[in-house]
Amino acid sequence: MSMDLVSASPAFVLGIPLLFAFLTPLANRVSKDLRDAMFVIGLLLTALFVGIMAYEVYTSGSWIYVFGSEESRPTQTASYFRIMFAADGFSALASITMVITALGAGLYSFAYMEGNTGMEKFYTLFFLTLAGVMGMVLTADLFNLFVWFEVTSIASCGLVAFQNYKVKSVEAALKYMFISVLGGLFFLVSIGLLYGEYGVLNFFLLADALTGGMIDKVALSIIIVVFAMKASSVPMHMWAPDVYAESPGSVTPFIAITSLGSLFVLTRIIFTLFRYSFGVAAVGHLLIILGLLSMFVGISMALKQSDVKRLIAYLSVSQIGYMLMAIGVAFATLDSADYSSFGAMALEGGLFHMINDGVYKALLFLSAASVVYATGIGDLNKLGGLAHKMPYTTMFFLLGGLSIAGVPPLSGFSSKLLIYQSVYLYHPILAIIALVVSIITFALIGKIFYSAFLGPDQGLTRGEVPRSMLVAMGILTVVVILFSLFPNYVVAEIVVPAVEGLGVVA
Amino acid sequence: MIDILLKDMWSPIVFIIVSLLTALVAYMFYRIGDEGYKRTRHKGEPFISGNMPPKDPRMIHVGGDNVFWGFTHALRKYLDPLVKAHTGIINDYVYWMVITMALVLIYVYLLI
Repeated sequence: MSMDLVSASPAFVLGIPLLFAFLTPLANRVSKDLRDAMFVIGLLLTALFVGIMAYEVYTSGSWIYVFGSEESRPTQTASYFRIMFAADGFSALASITMVITALGAGLYSFAYMEGNTGMEKFYTLFFLTLAGVMGMVLTADLFNLFVWFEVTSIASCGLVAFQNYKVKSVEAALKYMFISVLGGLFFLVSIGLLYGEYGVLNFFLLADALTGGMIDKVALSIIIVVFAMKASSVPMHMWAPDVYAESPGSVTPFIAITSLGSLFVLTRIIFTLFRYSFGVAAVGHLLIILGLLSMFVGISMALKQSDVKRLIAYLSVSQIGYMLMAIGVAFATLDSADYSSFGAMALEGGLFHMINDGVYKALLFLSAASVVYATGIGDLNKLGGLAHKMPYTTMFFLLGGLSIAGVPPLSGFSSKLLIYQSVYLYHPILAIIALVVSIITFALIGKIFYSAFLGPDQGLTRGEVPRSMLVAMGILTVVVILFSLFPNYVVAEIVVPAVEGLGVVA
Repeated sequence: MIDILLKDMWSPIVFIIVSLLTALVAYMFYRIGDEGYKRTRHKGEPFISGNMPPKDPRMIHVGGDNVFWGFTHALRKYLDPLVKAHTGIINDYVYWMVITMALVLIYVYLLI
């Protein structure tokens, strides 16, 4: 494969979904089969270029892709004022997480969305969301980040409201759009402040220019709040359960992955931009506070839910808390010897939990969507005995559920173990809270499993969901199992390069 | 270098092997159990405070809000206000965002 193609793979990771976003409606004019084939080809090609980029990063090291540059891998990036994409371990980890979830959600959509009209628009929105979130995690330019932030928000709002005959879906999309636009405007203000002060928006140039003055403080505060909100951190999480519960079941994990994408971006910005010009301990503590609030409020609200998707949505909020806390501990220890003794492990745990969370949460949301698809019921008070007729869905849910609860030997346990161990060394109370939240998560997974799947058959469904939906869940299950069996390999080959990509090698 | 590594703490393969061995031991205990067990009319049926199980299977299954009811009921003074704060109104979502932003600005101004 030519070196230019490999060097340009970050652009292809973004360009392929953008191209197919416009090709699928054209293909629809020819035939529906061609349209569906184009959707699968687009997803597979995106996955291929993510694989090429990741492989190159892991074997040859990071590089910067500059749009319009004559050099394929310029070394003097500071001389460029063009849009740059960072192809490093961190963006590789983020892209892998996004594309695995996109594949699962995309394949699941075929059968799930059957019967809906305007599927070419659905595919366009799907690809645009994928392109947006890929752009968010790859870009190394603040204004470009804003553009992809908006693309993601607008396209994913369209996905949430796609089944516009459902009033609640439209309402959820409206809320999502309103809060996203507001967040986008705040983010634009912070970009304006930084550009007015320093005249640059490139991450690397800006990182050198920042002085830690008042403008920087205001910009930092806004950026933290906006991306924490988009990551569904408490107390700005309230849109998330509405959106996750009311969006079409097949796209819920995909919407959730945009939240995770925001957390990736927050991590990148904090570690790249604000590392040298601010008191890292105070920023780290702020993230720890947001993380603790997210864990505790998320799991508390989950206790009161009786709708299966809404309950998982609140579990998702509490999982975001784990990652925020781990990243906060890592950032708080950055300037001290503690970083090498446990701070770096917290960062590893946080990043490993991100990729795990993306996959097992997708599996959970899809298995919950299967329950609703098969029975037409999402209320746990009315469900029961589904394991008799839906053995595969039961197995998929159980695997995803045990993983999110951090039950050994599943992948969620491995990443949580790193988090428990490291945050305990920072302050034992953090680890205790994290453990308590994990125990309650386990209990709530038990509640869903017992309520929906166990008990005598109540005749709520005639059988399993269609095969393509099972295949999509099966793919995610295989990934969960692989991450569960070989966590040390994942950490060494994917997570450690991501930590190095943030420029904070212990 | 990081002082503690995941591979020093955790091996899922070892965990699975030990679990399988434990299951094997449990199975051996199971095998030496009473082979004279015979399923009679009431054996294997759910025990509901001595009452006869209802004929409608839906009445046997206890799920949904009834699971952990005691736990959530005991925590109602904490949970109810929390649920009440989740109004579902977009204005409130914006209030929370603006309030958080104000608090973070104050925090950053004072501590950084």
